[in-house]
Amino acid sequence: MTSGWWKGLVAPAALIAAAEIAMRVWGSASMSLAAPSDIAVALAKGLADGSVLHATGQTLAAAGAGLALGGLAGLAIGVLFGLVRTVDRLMEVTVEAIRPIPSVAILPLAMLMFGFGYSMEIAIVAFSCLWPIMIYTRSAMAGIEPRLMEVSRALGLSSWDRIVKIVLPAALPRILLAFRLAAAIALVVAVTVEIAINPLGLGYGILVAQQGLQPDLMLAYLAWIGIVGWAVNALMLVAQQRLFGRAAMAEAAQ
Amino acid sequence: MKPSRLLWLAASFGVAALFVMLWQFAADHKLVNPIFLPGPDRAWNALVRGFATGDLGVKLMATVERMFWGWLIASLIGIVLGAAIGASPRLRAYLGPMLEFLRPLPASATIPVAIALLGLSDGMVLAVIAFGAMWPVLLATMHGFSAVEPRLYEVGRALGLSRAAIIGKIALPSASPDILAGMRLGLTVALILSVVCEMIAGRDGLGNWILLAARSFRAPDLYAGVILLGLLGYVTAIGIGYVESRLLAWRARAR
Amino acid sequence: MTTSAPSTPAISFDGVTLAYGEKTIVRDFSLEVGRGEIVCVIGPSGCGKTTALRMAGGLVQPNAGAVRVLGEAVKSPRRDVAIVFQDYGKALLPWRTAAANVALSLEAAGVARAERRDRIEHLLAKVGLAGHGDKYPTEMSGGMQQRIQIARCLAQDPQVLLMDEPFGALDAMTRQGLQDEMLSIVAETGATVFFVTHDLEEAVYLGDRVIGLLPNPGRTGVDIAVDLPRPRDQLETREMPDFLHLRRELFDFIEKAEA
Repeated sequence: MTSGWWKGLVAPAALIAAAEIAMRVWGSASMSLAAPSDIAVALAKGLADGSVLHATGQTLAAAGAGLALGGLAGLAIGVLFGLVRTVDRLMEVTVEAIRPIPSVAILPLAMLMFGFGYSMEIAIVAFSCLWPIMIYTRSAMAGIEPRLMEVSRALGLSSWDRIVKIVLPAALPRILLAFRLAAAIALVVAVTVEIAINPLGLGYGILVAQQGLQPDLMLAYLAWIGIVGWAVNALMLVAQQRLFGRAAMAEAAQ
Repeated sequence: MKPSRLLWLAASFGVAALFVMLWQFAADHKLVNPIFLPGPDRAWNALVRGFATGDLGVKLMATVERMFWGWLIASLIGIVLGAAIGASPRLRAYLGPMLEFLRPLPASATIPVAIALLGLSDGMVLAVIAFGAMWPVLLATMHGFSAVEPRLYEVGRALGLSRAAIIGKIALPSASPDILAGMRLGLTVALILSVVCEMIAGRDGLGNWILLAARSFRAPDLYAGVILLGLLGYVTAIGIGYVESRLLAWRARAR
Repeated sequence: MTTSAPSTPAISFDGVTLAYGEKTIVRDFSLEVGRGEIVCVIGPSGCGKTTALRMAGGLVQPNAGAVRVLGEAVKSPRRDVAIVFQDYGKALLPWRTAAANVALSLEAAGVARAERRDRIEHLLAKVGLAGHGDKYPTEMSGGMQQRIQIARCLAQDPQVLLMDEPFGALDAMTRQGLQDEMLSIVAETGATVFFVTHDLEEAVYLGDRVIGLLPNPGRTGVDIAVDLPRPRDQLETREMPDFLHLRRELFDFIEKAEA
C-alpha cells in the first residue's frame, strides 16, 4: 500500500532533528561526532570539489571489475557444476574447503601478491563474489525446464550453442538475482578492503577523514557510502524489473 | 550414509588431495614465486610451529572470543528489537523503510566512526562486531515475526493464552527458522569484522597474525593463518548448522 | 461466572449487525441455539455463517445487537467455547508434536505438567490417535490433523463447540468417519454444537436443526427441525425418506438463495 509512504520518513527525520539539536547544544567541540547540518555541508563540498565523486568512481570501478571477474568465473563454474553432476560431486570437498575462507583472510595474501592498488582489491572482490554466484547458478541449472533440454538435443545443438542459447537465457532471472546480491557483496568487500589497508576509494576517504579529526567529513562519507549502496541495489532492482517484468521476478524469487 | 554417497565423498577427497599434490608440485618446481606460493609442506610446518612454539593458539582464541561475544550480544539485541518491531504493524510501517535503507551499508564503514568515538580499544572492536552482526539478526527476526500465520494468533486468542504466552509459544517458534538464518549470517559478519578490526586496530588475533606475516613476507605463516581462518569459518558453519537441524527438526519431517 | 438456568440458550444472537466499512455482512440477525443442540448452519457464499460463528467465538464484535453464550455477552474468547477451524494445517503448531499441540490447550488453562500427560493420552485415544502423539502434524494425513485440532478443543472441556466447515478439506471417507466420531463425542459430553458447512447432506445428517442463511446481508432464511432418529447411521439414515425430503428442501433453498 503506497498510502502512508511518508511513515517511513518520520523516524529518520526525527532522529536527524534530534541529532542536530543534541550536537548544537552539547557537542560543539567534539572530535568524533558532527551535527547533521555540518555533515550535509561537508558532503556538498566534497561532491562539489570532486573528491567524493572521484573516490566513488574508484570504489565502483574496483567493485565492478571484481564483480565481473568473480561473476564470470562463478557463472562458468556454476554452469559446469550444475550441468555435469559428476564434476560437481568430485569437486565437493575442494569447494567446501575453500568456500568458508572469509574474504578478508585473502586480503594479506592479495597484498603480498599485488601490492596496494586496484589489482589487489579486484582480486579480493572477485573471490567474494565468485561463491554466491557459483551457488546460485548451479541451482539455477537444476531449475531449467527439462523439456527445453530435450528440445536442444532434438535440434542437434552443439554444447556451446546449447549453453548460450538455451541454458543461460532460461536461467537468466535467477542468475541476475544472484548478481544483484553479489553486487551488494562486491561493494561491501571493496569498502572493507579500502578501510583495512588499500589507499583508494570511499573506504580510504572515510579513514583519512577520521584520522584527520574531521568528523563532519567522516560521517559525510559514511552517509554517502550508505546512499551509494542503496542506489546500486535500487538500480539493479529496476534493471531486473525492466528486463523481466513481474513474472520473472516471482519465478526468480522461488 | 548411503554407500553411493560415501563413495562419492571419498572420490571427492581424492580430487582434493590431487589438488594439494599439484600445489606441492608447483611449489617444489618453483612454478610460482615461492614468496607467493609456499608448498603445503611449509604451510603445514608453519601451522604446527605456530601452535607448538608460537602463540598461534592464543591468537586463534582471541579471534574466536571476540567473534563469539560480539555475535551473542548482537543476536540478543537483534532478536529482542526484531521481535518488538516485527510483531507490531505500526512500528514496521515507521521503522521498516529506514532499516531496509541501512541494510546494504557495509558494517566495516562504521569502524572509523567507532575508532573516533571509542579509540583503538577492545571495546571499540566489540562494539563494531556487535553492531555489524546485529543487522542480519534484526532484519531476519523482523521478517519472521511479521510473517506469523494469522490463524495461529486466533488459535492463541481462542485458547485464552496470555500475551506473553502468545509471543513465547506461538510467535517465537514460528519465527525461529528466520531468526536462525539471520544468526547464521550474523556469525559470518562477526568473523569478518573480527578479522578486519584486528588488522586495523592492531589487536592480537588471527587477522593481525596474517597481516604481519604478509608484511614480513613470511608466506608459510600467512598460509597457515588463512587455512586456520578457513577452518574456523567451516567449523562455525557446521556448528550453527547442527543447532539449526536440532531446533528445526520439525521442518525436515514433512510428509 | 454466573450459573445460567438450564433454559438459557447456549448461544443467542439478538438483532446482530456487523459491517466492514461499506459492506454489511449480517444485518439484524437473530438466532437461538438451545443447550445440547446440534445446529448446522448452511448458506451460499456471503451469507455470513462463518462471521456468525466467529462472533459467537468472541473473535469479532458486532456493531449492533448482542451475542450471548450461556447467558453472558461475548466480549472475548471463552475457555468453555472451543473453535475448530477448517484450515487445520494453519491452525496447528507445526513445530509441536500432536501431543504437544493438545498440551497447548492445557498449558493455557494452567493445568499442572504432571497432570497433562494422562489427559493428553486420554484425549488422543478419544479421537482415535492413540500412539500417534509423537508425530508432527506434517507427518500426518489431513484427517489425522483435524483430529488433533478436535482433541485440542476437547481439552478445553467445552460446553460449546464452534466448528467452521471442519471436514470440508477432507475426502469423503475420512469425512464420514469424523462425522460419526464427532457425534459420539458430543453425545458423551452433551456439548452444544454450532456447525457451519457447505455440505447439505452433512448438515442434515449431523444436525438437530438446520439453519439456512440468506446472503447480502446475512440473515435467517429457513430454520428446519431434523427429526431423524439417533444414533445416526451413514447408510441407514441417509436412505430414509425424511432425510431425502429434508435434503431436497435445503437444496431448493440454496438454489433460490443463490439466484
